[in-house]
Amino acid sequence: MSGLLSARSRAGLIHLLLAAAAVIVIIPVVWTVAAGFRTQISLLMGELLFTPVGSNFAEVLFSKTSDFLLNYRNSLIVGISSTAICIAIATLAAWSLHRMRWPGWIVHVFLAWTLIFHMIPPVALAGAWYTMARAVGLDNTFTGLVLAHATLNLPMAIWLMGVSVRDVPKELEEAAFIDGANMPAVLWHVVLPIIAPGIAATAILAFVFSWNEFAVALTLTMKQTATVPVAIAKFAQDFEIQYTQMAASAALSILPALVLLLIAQRYIVKGLTQGAIK
Amino acid sequence: MTVPAGLKMARKHGASFGDDRLWRWLTFSPALGLMLLLSVLPLVNLLISSFQDISWADGSAVRTFAGLSSYHALAADTLFAAGLANTFIFAFAAVAGQMVLGLGLALLSSKVTRGRVLYRAIFILPILIPGIVIGAIWKLMLNYDFGLVNQGLALLGIMPQDWLGAPETALLSVIMVDIWHWTPFCFLLFLAGLESLPQDVFEAARIDGASAWQEFFHVTLPLIIPTIVVTFAFRLVLAFKVFDEVYLLTSGGPGTATEVVSFTLYQRFFTEDRIGYGSAMSIAVIFIVSLLLVIALSARRQAAAS
Amino acid sequence: MKKELKLSRRHVIAGMAAATAGTAWRPVWAASVAPITIVINQSPWFESFRKTVELYEAESGNQVELDVNPFAGSLEKQRNSVRAKQGQYDILIMNSGWFTEMYAGGFVDPLTDIDPSFKLDPEIFTLGDTVYYNADKKTVTADGKLMSVPVSPLIPMLYYRGDLYAEAGLKAPRTFAELEANARRFHEPPARYGIVQRGARGPHTVAYDFYPYLYGQGGGIFKDQSSGDYSVTLNSPQGREALEYYIRLAREAGHPKTAAMDQAEVIQSMVTGHAAHIMMVIAAWSQMDDPNKSAIVDKVEWAPTPSMPGLPTAPGLGHWLAGIARNVPDDRKRSAIEFLRWFQTKQAQLATAKAGGIPVHAGVYSEPIADERKYRWMKPLAEALPHAVNVYQFPEASEVIAVLELGLNRAIAGEITAVDALNGMADEIHAVMEKYKYKTAQLEPLR
Repeated sequence: MSGLLSARSRAGLIHLLLAAAAVIVIIPVVWTVAAGFRTQISLLMGELLFTPVGSNFAEVLFSKTSDFLLNYRNSLIVGISSTAICIAIATLAAWSLHRMRWPGWIVHVFLAWTLIFHMIPPVALAGAWYTMARAVGLDNTFTGLVLAHATLNLPMAIWLMGVSVRDVPKELEEAAFIDGANMPAVLWHVVLPIIAPGIAATAILAFVFSWNEFAVALTLTMKQTATVPVAIAKFAQDFEIQYTQMAASAALSILPALVLLLIAQRYIVKGLTQGAIK
Repeated sequence: MTVPAGLKMARKHGASFGDDRLWRWLTFSPALGLMLLLSVLPLVNLLISSFQDISWADGSAVRTFAGLSSYHALAADTLFAAGLANTFIFAFAAVAGQMVLGLGLALLSSKVTRGRVLYRAIFILPILIPGIVIGAIWKLMLNYDFGLVNQGLALLGIMPQDWLGAPETALLSVIMVDIWHWTPFCFLLFLAGLESLPQDVFEAARIDGASAWQEFFHVTLPLIIPTIVVTFAFRLVLAFKVFDEVYLLTSGGPGTATEVVSFTLYQRFFTEDRIGYGSAMSIAVIFIVSLLLVIALSARRQAAAS
Repeated sequence: MKKELKLSRRHVIAGMAAATAGTAWRPVWAASVAPITIVINQSPWFESFRKTVELYEAESGNQVELDVNPFAGSLEKQRNSVRAKQGQYDILIMNSGWFTEMYAGGFVDPLTDIDPSFKLDPEIFTLGDTVYYNADKKTVTADGKLMSVPVSPLIPMLYYRGDLYAEAGLKAPRTFAELEANARRFHEPPARYGIVQRGARGPHTVAYDFYPYLYGQGGGIFKDQSSGDYSVTLNSPQGREALEYYIRLAREAGHPKTAAMDQAEVIQSMVTGHAAHIMMVIAAWSQMDDPNKSAIVDKVEWAPTPSMPGLPTAPGLGHWLAGIARNVPDDRKRSAIEFLRWFQTKQAQLATAKAGGIPVHAGVYSEPIADERKYRWMKPLAEALPHAVNVYQFPEASEVIAVLELGLNRAIAGEITAVDALNGMADEIHAVMEKYKYKTAQLEPLR
């Protein structure tokens, strides 16, 4: 259909479009990170050229009132555990609902219920969960927040994993089963390799949502368990928005998360695909 | 496709595994348990409270039955009406923009091999930033006197615009920020959807001499429709819940130009502490969004059927 | 099976015994009173509060834990705690926006119920008597019980450019007419605006900016809250005068986008040198002289917000109060009282001031520290504080604030006239007061 040259110029065009989009996406991000290296007055004056300062990062990381490293650790604990729990539960549930012989109404009612749950405004949810957590002593604990975040992301994860699971050819599962594989073996060796990209994408989103979740994290935590968004929100004070420190902490919050996600994505996809035996 | 060779073990079970009740329950019960445990109480609470008036005396709640009065009051709440109208515009414009851009970027970046990881990393960036920071940063960038955007326009010789302060552009600006923030969500899911498509179908299409457009409309699009539907549903719900960005960008102003329903809800439910009325508003919003989703889904079914 | 159960029970009992022994031993070597937790919000004055608390810990040996929250989150966490069976927080740092909710709901105990010997130091500012609550009459008046101790006496002040004033040989404006004349004089847009006002709609934004104008012109929102008369007087001739003045100032000597300016942007205009005047809560003072945050270091001066001749300055309160939660154990309530008893002393308040805080003790304002250049806001603040207005004395005030935010913003944006805005807002506020069964009435609409 297309010669070497036109294929090449088509690839060039694609790269051009992608690069243009990348520039639009990245300018505000670069601007945010750069704001972390500026003085507040330089930022407020809208100066384009500035002498970088490291005081914002120093303040965020090491000042006496800032617990950023602690918040960071907390966010990692909550983000990773809640994502792992959420994805495991959602994958099993999606597979169960779409591939096992549940009565149709159970599937529909449950899926609709998760979606309705997802629509509850955070104000309403946070208060109710606080009361429950306080009653059983799970307020101000990681367990409470991990369960809360896993549940918050469960509807999305179940629906998304549902799409992936339905892509798995039924004949493949059945063939494996006729070959005598038991349930976990079919899941591990047949289903997971096929839905690996879906799992990776869903896991990234679940992690990011947990990483940035504010309303529930605020109510269920105190000083020792507070997460990064709770810490960052403190920079938007009444009477003073500390833009530069906010930007510095946002930069600190983005970059490792990004690295983690890229590694995680490769690892998840690779790890799961390797389960398949050709 | 071949059956994984390693699985050719002793043939024991004849029937399909879907009949195995034990496995069926084992795989489903964790999700069911968590949802029952953590979602039923808040929702039931919301529903009951919506028929009550709740006040406080001596440190405990005084609940009185109020019937449907909260639901009646919704009709007269002008802020709620403005919030709903703006949220419709906001949600559909923003979600449509995100879906189209997300799909476009996903298609393009699935076509390239070089720099794929880099593009993916860049396109994911905006959702990594906490909502409150997005609000603060864009507020500065869109600032009338000092903002980056107006500075950029000045270079092109265009007069500075009051992006967030003028009623004509405020909602549009909020929509643009939201598109920037959430396109990665769609991008990521569409990319995953495209990656898991079976390659043999495309090869077949190419052998048949399909053009790129034909391939997209007749092969790719039908195959990723399920992904599109789920992405749309969750984006729509999230768009109805938009809060953090608007809070710092405009707080609903000027006037009610950017009043969104989650904002009204926060105002009535939390700031004014009207739990009964706020609950009724929550239920109403849940009902409206559900209705929208049902309409959208049945429209798709009809389209698929015809 | 049974044996195991018994064994584990015995373990539990042994453990409990050990735990009791542990607590019984504690006072010998640890704190003399139970440790307490204070819930507070992050703010420019928080650092001074933290240092003051550290000083208390060092002096008394008692433990105080601070749970610091974002501004928007503090109320949420306080509500959650006081509405639970047993509270998490012993001392609540309450804003002017929600202390009546805590008083009226019975969420904080009167301090004199916890310790009848507790007395407020006579030199502590009582800030529109907001430390008292009369539960029988449901009014925030001095005939009620003592409910709290002030923590930060925040009110708006006029920030003006002392360098420009000195150049022009002017004195700080005392009246609205002087403010208008000076704002016009220094109005050189777009390099510098005569005044930058906070006209945006927000949680408590344009309404809060408007109170000094409204009350300073002799207007008001209600007839007499202290005696329980909630007749709406917003659309009085004085109210009209105030709003028309505010809008004229914005149009003729102010920022062209006043209707979109929020607090952060007003401060931004000042620190970047783009405003000759702003009216802003005193808590923002420290940014003005910080070279990292300001291009006008040492150039700002402070004065009480202007008023009509013959009327006092009338800043609206945006202060913070410390109350003790009802639903915490008695020993912790007593520890909390001990902290408040210490916190209200002149010596503690002087320490607060030296740490950059804003003291609530009148005596501190006549100390040498008030003559230092750095603390040049202290004398004008001390002059204004006795006149501070407690704008709302009832817990449902946020509904009224929401009405004002929208109506005022629309009037400033030019969507509706000042008269229509005032009449409309008065109607809506009247409806709110009627809904909650307060004694209320309305004025004849303005024409």
